[in-house]
This record gives sequence, C-alpha cells and structure tokens, in this order.
Amino acid sequence: MRVALQSPTAGGTDASAATALYLYGVTWEDVARPQPGAGVHGESVEAVPYRELAGLTSAVESTKVPAKRRDLLRHAEVLGTALVHGTVLPLRFGVVFENGTTLVEDFLLPRYAELTQLLRKFEGRVELSVKAFFREEAILAEVVRANPRITRLREATRAASDASTYPLRVELGERVAAELQERTLRDRQALLDRLSRLAVDVQVDQQPIEHQVLGASFLVERERVALFDDAMNELAQEQAERMHFKYLGPLAPHSFVGLTAEAR
Amino acid sequence: MAIATHGTASNYLQRAPSPSGLADVVELILDKGLVIDAYVRIAVIGIELITIDARIVIASVDTYLRFAEAVNRLDLTQTEAAGLAELRDGGGDGKAKGMVEGAKDALSGEGDRKKERAKRG
Repeated sequence: MRVALQSPTAGGTDASAATALYLYGVTWEDVARPQPGAGVHGESVEAVPYRELAGLTSAVESTKVPAKRRDLLRHAEVLGTALVHGTVLPLRFGVVFENGTTLVEDFLLPRYAELTQLLRKFEGRVELSVKAFFREEAILAEVVRANPRITRLREATRAASDASTYPLRVELGERVAAELQERTLRDRQALLDRLSRLAVDVQVDQQPIEHQVLGASFLVERERVALFDDAMNELAQEQAERMHFKYLGPLAPHSFVGLTAEAR
Repeated sequence: MAIATHGTASNYLQRAPSPSGLADVVELILDKGLVIDAYVRIAVIGIELITIDARIVIASVDTYLRFAEAVNRLDLTQTEAAGLAELRDGGGDGKAKGMVEGAKDALSGEGDRKKERAKRG
C-alpha cells in the first residue's frame, strides 16, 4: 500500500510523544493549502495527503481538546478558508488522531471510496444557512387583528392583570400561542417553497424556538448562490415589517455530510 | 469564488460569510459535520454551559401568561402596517430532519471514547 505522508507539524514536533493531530476536514490533495497559524491553539494547518485526498490537520498537545470559544471559531474559519480553494468535507469539532500515519491508516485509507464519493457529490456546492424570525410586536398585532376572540379577550383583560382576569389571561395566551404556531408552520412552508427550488437539498431545524419561523440549511450550486441572494433579498424586503433574517454562507456542507456508521 | 454580493440599491439583507457568534458556530461544528466512529477519539472536553440565545417554546401556563401580557402591552395604533405582508400559503416539500435528533444519533456511537455533549440551556 502506497502511503504518502508529510510531516503535519511544521515545527518538527513529531518527535514529541505528547503531540496529536487535530483534523478539520477532508479535501482534494491538489487544492489543499497550508494555513499558517490559523488552527486550534494558533498552530499551523497542514495537509496530510493520501492518494488524491488530503486531511487538513494541525498539531495539538493532547488528544483532549477543550472546546474554547476561540478554537471553535478557528475550526470554522479553517474550513471556510479551505472552501475558498475547493470542496471540503467538514468534520465535527474535536476529532483527533495520534499522528499522520494513523490518520491515513485508520481513516483516509479505509474510507477512501466513501470520502472521494462524498467530495464529488459536494463539488461546486455550498451550504447556505437561513434563519427567519417574527418581529414580536408585528406578529402579535397581526394575531390580535385576525382573531376576534383574541381581540375580545385582550379588551377584557387589558385593564386589570389581577386574579379576577387570570382564567381569561390564560385563555388569551393559549389562543395567541396557537395562532403563532399556525402562522409559524404556514410561513415556514411558504419560505421553504420559495427557497427550496433554488437548492439541491435542504435540512430543516424542527426545534420549536420562540419566534423562529425557519431555521434551515440549503445545499446550493455555487453558480446559483447569486440567485439565492436575490430570493433572500426579495423575501427580506417583502417581509421587512414582520420578519428579520439571518443569512450565512457560503459554508462547507456541515448539514449534509454523513458517513454510514458501519462502512469501512 | 462568487461571494461578492450583487444587487446594490435593493440590498435588504447582507449574507455573512462566516459564523461570528458562539451560538452559530456551536450549531455548525458541534451539532453538524462528519463524525467518525471506531477509529478515532472524539476528544472534546470542557463544553460546559454553552448558552444558546434562543428560547424553546413550551406549552405552559407561564408561557400563556407571558403571551397575554405581551399582547396587552401592544399599541395597535402604531403597528397598523404590520398585518399586510403575510406570506401566501403554498404546497411543496422540504426535507426535514431534526437537528437535535441527528446530533444524538451521530454521537451515540459505540465504544469507550470520551463523549461530551454541549449543554444547552
């Protein structure tokens, strides 16, 4: 078996038994670029190649990596930089190998077919993350106007928020919650209908977060990102009164990568 | 790479090129991304009390009273324009996957390796 290896540690710390190798992601060998000082703990990111694959790695002092804010951000930034040069499969934070040899022998080699297949699948595609939130005052006003029972309950409970209006206030809140839920589901679907047609794939976050209409990741062809931008701008403009958006990307396909657990 | 934003005058929304907040980055690289079983150690330690700035909706009397209070605080004369811009209904199919479930599945692999979950609260 031909295993091409280069030292993952620029400083020649290979000799140190305490040194381990942190893995950010897997990319094509011909687009893998070193990132001096960009890695976890400020270490340099180096490529560990195997055939046409390369693991993006940096040296770490131990196999236990604390999830510090700064290093979480560095992990994301290393992947973002790699994405500028080519397709990259992002790893979850905190994957560490003993050294370059084990990275190749335990991962790149046995998973070679699967990894190359995944890289081809994501070639020319990026993840765009979209979140939409109701503006509370606007959506509540909408709910009050649309539902006569809520309008009446509001009138009946506005003057006094004491024990005498307690059951009415509970009913009011319950009806408001139900209306919000209905609007959330309806508007989420409408947003998905508008955006999904521009995407290859979509992953929707189902967590019920208050006032969050949509939390979703879209897998989009790079050449369609501009179209997606246009659609997002249209939505932001149309919905400016009642929603605000968070729009992030292009990202490596964090939400779309997956290896089958038993595959070797 | 085409990351330059286009559309100038009507640029309502700026796409951020990378996650800047802790909540975004935690969601991206602690809940998502390739997980490798069997061959390596998942070496994350010290993820404690990473608070996500989001309130999960819970059906409870407390929530209802909070909504009632919020509705009663509204000054409807100042939000006249708000009700007009509703999205239209539509069909269509978005593939849905629970992020939390996905993360649990991915992390519940076998083995004696160290596993620690980010605690959200």
